Amino acid sequence: MNGRPADAHAGPNGLRRACLPGGRRLAKIAAALLAAAVVCATARAEGDKPRVMSLNVCADQLVLALAEPERIVSLSVLADDPDFSFLHEKAELFPKNAGVAEEVFIARPDVVVTGTYSLHNTTQLLRHLGMRVEEFGYTQTLETIPGDIRRMGAILDEVARAETMAAAFERELSAMALPADAPRPTVVIFGQNGVATGAGTLADSVLSAAGLRNLAAERGFSGMAPYPLELLITDRPDVVLLSGRIEGAPALADQVTRHPAIAASGAAVATGIVPRGSWSCGGPFTLEAVRALRALRDDLLAGRGASG
Amino acid sequence: MSPTRLNLALSLTVVGLFAASLMIGPAALGPAASLEGLFSGGGEAAAIIMREVRLPRAALAGLVGFGLGLAGAALQGFLRNPLAEPGIIGVSACASLGAVAVFYSGLAGASMLALPAGAMIGALAAVVALLAIAAGNTTTLTLILAGIALSSLAGALTSLALNLSPNPFASYEIIFWLLGSIKDRSMLHVWISLPPMLVGWALILASARALDALSFGEEAAQSLGIDIGRARIMLVAGVALAVGAGVAVTGAIGFVGLVVPHLLRPLTDRMPSRLLLPSGLGGAALLIAADIAARTVVPAKELNVGVLTALIGAPFFLWLVTRSRRGLA
Repeated sequence: MNGRPADAHAGPNGLRRACLPGGRRLAKIAAALLAAAVVCATARAEGDKPRVMSLNVCADQLVLALAEPERIVSLSVLADDPDFSFLHEKAELFPKNAGVAEEVFIARPDVVVTGTYSLHNTTQLLRHLGMRVEEFGYTQTLETIPGDIRRMGAILDEVARAETMAAAFERELSAMALPADAPRPTVVIFGQNGVATGAGTLADSVLSAAGLRNLAAERGFSGMAPYPLELLITDRPDVVLLSGRIEGAPALADQVTRHPAIAASGAAVATGIVPRGSWSCGGPFTLEAVRALRALRDDLLAGRGASG
Repeated sequence: MSPTRLNLALSLTVVGLFAASLMIGPAALGPAASLEGLFSGGGEAAAIIMREVRLPRAALAGLVGFGLGLAGAALQGFLRNPLAEPGIIGVSACASLGAVAVFYSGLAGASMLALPAGAMIGALAAVVALLAIAAGNTTTLTLILAGIALSSLAGALTSLALNLSPNPFASYEIIFWLLGSIKDRSMLHVWISLPPMLVGWALILASARALDALSFGEEAAQSLGIDIGRARIMLVAGVALAVGAGVAVTGAIGFVGLVVPHLLRPLTDRMPSRLLLPSGLGGAALLIAADIAARTVVPAKELNVGVLTALIGAPFFLWLVTRSRRGLA
């Protein structure tokens, strides 16, 4: 309950009052709420683009990329976190939500966008209350990004802008395609606690597009899976990609990624290659991750050529 | 069994288990490749795996196990309490808390050198607190209950500190500090924990005569010319160093110091001093064996070694409690 007295919303506009349910009103039967929500959802004037509220950091990215700023009601709290949100600077301008159904109900957006992975109960509850909720799949790859951009464009009534963005993405990605016989150095993304990123992930498709072979995927690991240190030594990838540490907050999770055996094996070790947040969610900016890794690949091949 | 033969048999067991531990790992290296990797050197994958991954693991299991067995035997003799053990009386938990406070606060950066110092301070505080409680000639039960209280408090504070860390991985590390693991250690862990452990063992072994004299009571010991104050300081420091340095690199591993002295006592003449070295060797053998089991019991999924020692040790502890129920009242 939001605890605000119903009278605070009293005004000449009866519809407005019904749309901002106070504590007592919320306590009333669900049918009344549902009716109010339906009225509010249809209250938008003709020609206005829908007001959107995003509950998921990956949906945040597409909303930020496509929506007009005044149509954004709020974004998820993670939108401010540079490790997950590439567009975190732009996100600073907007209010944030914690993904609680109550916040959505008070804010009355025309549409709620979220992820299938997160906040499942919230999604159910909001749909039950008659809100329009659009879910985006958790498993993204480079191939799904243009589709997600177009779908978000349709939801936000920004079809033309989305089409331009998606087509540019497809064009730039295909321009970077390598011939089938191009040399592909091997790589393992070795994250905290020795957890590697395997097949079926956005990162795996980014590595592949950059011209690298993901040994974790070739070993049959899918999703996030522990890569035993001993296997990392025997497989000896050309480069091991480590995640950066969190400044001022050490954890034992970072110890195995700095194990002396990795350096002894002769594998190159790289940290901070990919721009922060560029491949934690899929978006137009994920091409930045492909470009950074392509540069790394070219460096590796040049080094290999130089050393004979 | 004569003391020499007992120690020899236990030493051979430790050597055998140590060799077995070196042969086990996800990289399928045959015995020949393993031996060659261990001794021939070079940059081959087998050599790196043997020297940088498996050797520190087997060595730490042996060293930490030795310290826990030795400390358990010493505490049981000194406190004249059959249930005393670094884990049960809260020394290990306080060592974990000390290590956590130093490491996660970021005061020492990400340096691991600060870990043993923090753990030893925690262990020292616990032993001193328990001796103060035990000084009032308390019963076995009072000491154990005080230890359990200390353990719970240290465990709760450890969890709190890790939950408050801004690093999202820290809270998953609660299980490491409370239940211990020897996974993916490096030789650096061996080098930072070995010196304090050696000093701790030396202090405990040097107070063997005092332990024997104390088994007749403090007055009798004094009449035999034992400086009780000095013996107490040596034992306290010895236990704090041996247990603290171990906990700093493997987390708190329980019950090794309880089970081993009890299993070996019938094989000795029951003098506390004669139990010290066998308990150390037995602790090393038990922890190496438990660490092998932790890697092999569930295929492709490693267990925390402290889970296994607790699975063996906790029922044993219960059995000891029920057996000596009358003595505890």
